[in-house]
Amino acid sequence: MIGNDVIDLALAQKESNWRRKGYLDKIFTSNEQNFIFSSENQTIMVWTLWSRKEAVYKIIRQQNGLRGFYPLKIENCDFENGIVCFEDDVFYAKTSIIGECIHTIASQNHLHNQIIEISSSVQLFKKNEIPYILENGKKVCISKSYHGRYEKVIRTI
Amino acid sequence: MNKLEIIDQLKTVVKPYIKNQEAFDNLSETTDFINDLKINSANLVDVILDIEEVFDIVIDNASMEKMLDVKSTLAIIETKLAEK
Repeated sequence: MIGNDVIDLALAQKESNWRRKGYLDKIFTSNEQNFIFSSENQTIMVWTLWSRKEAVYKIIRQQNGLRGFYPLKIENCDFENGIVCFEDDVFYAKTSIIGECIHTIASQNHLHNQIIEISSSVQLFKKNEIPYILENGKKVCISKSYHGRYEKVIRTI
Repeated sequence: MNKLEIIDQLKTVVKPYIKNQEAFDNLSETTDFINDLKINSANLVDVILDIEEVFDIVIDNASMEKMLDVKSTLAIIETKLAEK
């Protein structure tokens, strides 16, 4: 399973004030907050960590359908290595930041070289909220995310 | 505060964050914050903080986990208000 999340930094700046009192406490563990405050660009770190949680949440949803708002349970345990933990599961996240576009791809194995970005104009289907495309009549799982000016669709090869 | 008053207050709280006016105009207990009102998840935090301020209650993490639709949010607000 794979999951992705894209954030348009310009829109995030406009719509969210992460410095609002109590905001970080609702979504980031104390370890994550320490990491944010010790980083050079705190705003970029906030949204990078957030996009990793969101990308992993998409995988969790695909696996057991557990719907809910529990950002504190999905923790960036090891930022440098992209490791995100949820209960007993470990996920691997990779984030690219190009201009004002933050894009995180998460997977449950380490094989990020087997995940590619595809055109967002491809026809998508959904079953039980799990998105997929059809390729020669065969289902291929994908993940899609859009925010502001950006839209990203990824698949495994 | 009765249920209708709570819904009214809740509508005022979510209004700045909604992306689907029609769903907002037809808001009912089954309305979902993300699927119907299209509130983005980063703004869901603002909704929760605003609810805490407006109703003067504290939303714990276990409650926050369920606050994806009007129905469960109402139930949580009512419970927290009763505990005061």
